[in-house]
Amino acid sequence: MEPISRRRFLTTTAGGGLAGILATRVPPARGQQREISYLCWNNFAPASDKKLAEIGQRFTKDTGIKLKIDHVSHMGPQQQKYASEVQTQAGHDLVEMRMHFPWLYEPQLVDVSDVVGELEKKHGKAIGSAYEGAHVNGAWRAVPQYHAMFVATYREDLFKKASLKVPDTWEDLYTVGKELKKMGNPVGIPISQNYDSISTAGPVLWSFGGMEVDKDGKTVRINSPATVQTIEWYKKMFRDCMEPEVLSWSDASNNESIQQGKAGWIHNPVSAYIVAKQRKLVTADGINHHRSLGGPHGRHETDTPRHIAIWKFSKNVEPAKEWIRYLLGTREVYDEYIMSGDAFNLPVYEKLQDHPVLRTDPKYAALRGEGVQYHTYGWPAPPSDKVQLITNTYLLPNMIAKAVTGTSPKDAIAWAETEMKKILAG
Amino acid sequence: MAVRADDLPVPRGRPRLAGRVREWLDHESILGPVFVTPALLLLVLLVAYPFVMALYFSMSNAFIGRPSRWVGLHNFIALWDSDVFRQTFQNAFVFTSIAVAFKVVLGIILALLLNEQLWFKRMIRGAVLLPWVIPTALSTLGWWWMFNSLYSVVNWTGIALGIVDPPGPNWLGQRYYAMSAVIAVNVWRGLPFFAITILAGLVAIPKELYEAAEADGAGANARFWHVTLPLLRPVLAVVVLFSTIFTFGDFNIVYILTHGGPINATHLFATLSRQVGIDTGRIGEGAAISLYLFPLLVFVVWAQLRFVRKQVY
Repeated sequence: MEPISRRRFLTTTAGGGLAGILATRVPPARGQQREISYLCWNNFAPASDKKLAEIGQRFTKDTGIKLKIDHVSHMGPQQQKYASEVQTQAGHDLVEMRMHFPWLYEPQLVDVSDVVGELEKKHGKAIGSAYEGAHVNGAWRAVPQYHAMFVATYREDLFKKASLKVPDTWEDLYTVGKELKKMGNPVGIPISQNYDSISTAGPVLWSFGGMEVDKDGKTVRINSPATVQTIEWYKKMFRDCMEPEVLSWSDASNNESIQQGKAGWIHNPVSAYIVAKQRKLVTADGINHHRSLGGPHGRHETDTPRHIAIWKFSKNVEPAKEWIRYLLGTREVYDEYIMSGDAFNLPVYEKLQDHPVLRTDPKYAALRGEGVQYHTYGWPAPPSDKVQLITNTYLLPNMIAKAVTGTSPKDAIAWAETEMKKILAG
Repeated sequence: MAVRADDLPVPRGRPRLAGRVREWLDHESILGPVFVTPALLLLVLLVAYPFVMALYFSMSNAFIGRPSRWVGLHNFIALWDSDVFRQTFQNAFVFTSIAVAFKVVLGIILALLLNEQLWFKRMIRGAVLLPWVIPTALSTLGWWWMFNSLYSVVNWTGIALGIVDPPGPNWLGQRYYAMSAVIAVNVWRGLPFFAITILAGLVAIPKELYEAAEADGAGANARFWHVTLPLLRPVLAVVVLFSTIFTFGDFNIVYILTHGGPINATHLFATLSRQVGIDTGRIGEGAAISLYLFPLLVFVVWAQLRFVRKQVY
């Protein structure tokens, strides 16, 4: 056999190896990038973010996949991030999405039905609101992660002091709201361009029997007697139970108002109480929650499911799925994550609904939500990008804001109807 | 020993090339473009490309992450049907005209004060620039805190002094107050630019003109109207031009203070464009909103530059 020179050996092996890599388009295992990045929102329960980082480190240790977690402010900036990452086709592998966002970004999201199928086998079916938000046109475009539901948050100490009855309906709230305002502790329901405003306007409208768009997803139904009732209720609440400041509020303002001792009643998830407790605010002891309010057409409430999605441009789809399985698929790890959220992060799968986190504080009893129907924005219309455009354009709170500041209910409703029809026709 | 030219080594490839390059660069027609090219490249990459992309988006039905098609001027025409857009159009003119007017008047007053012999003159002139130097997002957060309904130090002070009745004005929740608040912050932020530029114009006015006017019996008022103001006109025209463009395009102040609310009463083109283009994903429509005033602003630039040229030559 002819001896092979060192130079010839190196040339042949390197050339052959390179040809193999180019042909299979798969880099050698040693050179493969085993690093994924995950864009999350700042959780309203800050301890949950710390726990996530801790679990991430364990994931890296157990699997060898590096995980980089970035946080972005909860509302607003995250939409800019989504948009820029999609337009440039570069950025994080995984992103946290809220409510209906998978509908808006459907063509850019990996089908994760396989992962959700595995999780449902272990933990039971995903709850309805998670399905509404992340199951898009027959496929799961994001994996349900947790949910945070709206409840009534009130100053129990003030209610006891003034012998006020805990309200059971939106009309009851008007009765106690008048007293609260006289006491200098008004009701705090935002009527401005933010999501909390929609989270309250929706349940009030549903409880009076109204809706924005019909079940067919095409017919605008905002012009109805139920909407007139809703607006009349808001008008008297604005006049007798609240202060005009609610027209300028952000998502955080109602939380701050009750934490700082001003508001006597707000409509919000338990985050206001959790933060008050963690920061040892004097109001924390006096805050409690009660079951969501009802109306002539039942007791409806906003649920805000969170999901984890993977961008299609990601080159690390399998490692990204591995992280989701690690965080949500192992009962112990998922429990650990849920417990760290102090009942702000609630499990989103059916078998886990009676979770120990609900027993960590008697003030979480209202979160069991007996007799309450939970929905995402736009219900009963099936979620679609157009229905979500109605939400993201803040038509519902702007219609109410117009009415409480002098526009006639008829004109305010007609305005909203026109804008909604334009969106559905577009 | 004398060295003959023939004995010198013949220059080889590289030096010959270097010499030739040097020769080329001696020609103005080559050196000029060489100097200009980097700047041109930057302009093309950072200004022309995004601008052309925005133009393309504005004439398409682009939705984030989805295929788009050409729709011509449809977005620009359809926007007039939108009540929110019409409101924004009106807001932009109200906001810009009032804010620029205040900045002109206050800027002249401040410049005249700074032109006087003051103690710590340099320090004061430096301090005046602060609002312009601090990042707008940061300083506007401070203003947001001052106008915030729960923590408003403005209302707290007013109530403590007995000037306003509790709970005080709803600065960010009532349409006229909200517009006043965003205008006030814009004036606060833009004033140093006016004051310092006008001050530069004031310093350049020859002292002899004032002495001559004074000798003719002109008082302070007459000197201002007949000497200072006419000579400041070119400077004022340029400052107003820049400020008009910046104020029309303002984003940070409105976004942080009001998010365009209450009920769209403070939306400007940039904030509405963001809401439509980013929050709802309709970047085609969003781009059309942001470019709506482009033709008008081009005309303003042309008219004002023409005015400046007439004043100078």
